[in-house]
Amino acid sequence: MSTSADPFSSPARRLPGDLAMWFFILAELTVFAILILAFAVAQMVYAEQFDESRAALDSSIGLALTLSLLTSGLFAALAVEQVRQARSARATLLLLAALGSSCVYVVLKLNEYSHLAGLGLGMEHNTFFTLYWILTGFHFLHVLLGMVILGWLAARCRRGAYGPDNHSGLESGVLYWHMVDMVWVLLFPLVYVLR
Amino acid sequence: MSASKVLVACWLGLAVLSVSTVLLGNAGATLALTAAVLLTAFGKAWLITDGFMELRHAPRAWRLLLLAWPLVLVLGVLLTLL
Repeated sequence: MSTSADPFSSPARRLPGDLAMWFFILAELTVFAILILAFAVAQMVYAEQFDESRAALDSSIGLALTLSLLTSGLFAALAVEQVRQARSARATLLLLAALGSSCVYVVLKLNEYSHLAGLGLGMEHNTFFTLYWILTGFHFLHVLLGMVILGWLAARCRRGAYGPDNHSGLESGVLYWHMVDMVWVLLFPLVYVLR
Repeated sequence: MSASKVLVACWLGLAVLSVSTVLLGNAGATLALTAAVLLTAFGKAWLITDGFMELRHAPRAWRLLLLAWPLVLVLGVLLTLL
């Protein structure tokens, strides 16, 4: 149902992508919710330790990580829009741009991991870093899987596998990538910013 | 506004909110600033669900379900910081 007062409204309501992907996303979000809340509860118990440990993280790096993921998400969303307009070549380039932007995230994150490991702030250092490595590492694995999916989507798009009437698979893959984005926008303030 | 322009507008909103998150976090550690940081996080999740994921066009139950996820987390985290 739509109303004229809602600028985002649409006459026909439709769930993009495959239903199976949405159930997968819900399952993933549930797991991340448990980890995020575990981090928050541990922060309540070890407030001083979390404040001191967080000082080892650079929030500007966290911001750069965020912007690289969000930019990648924009390119992926624009690719879907181009396929709907039967512009597969442009969509392929946009998916490759999404992949490139996600590479920035990977390089920055690996640098951060390397820096922390060099300082001896590994998983066994304290509770903050145990949860930091588990939470961000689990998310990092999702980024890597998402990059594989983006690459696969780009290859299929290049071969003309998607069109205005046949792009549910593309939507599903891109939805997974947006889920990875959404988890990060909650992780970022919790891990890098809040005190 | 075309669909592509809506997506770019969402990205701009996300970028502004991301910078705001860092600025608010650096401004201090009061409860109001903490709540503001969490509010920006919810705003970003909303832009992703309604903008990038296009749930603004989806059946209401799915849209509310996905928006409930950041809302519950933001409220949960806020409770632990009170």
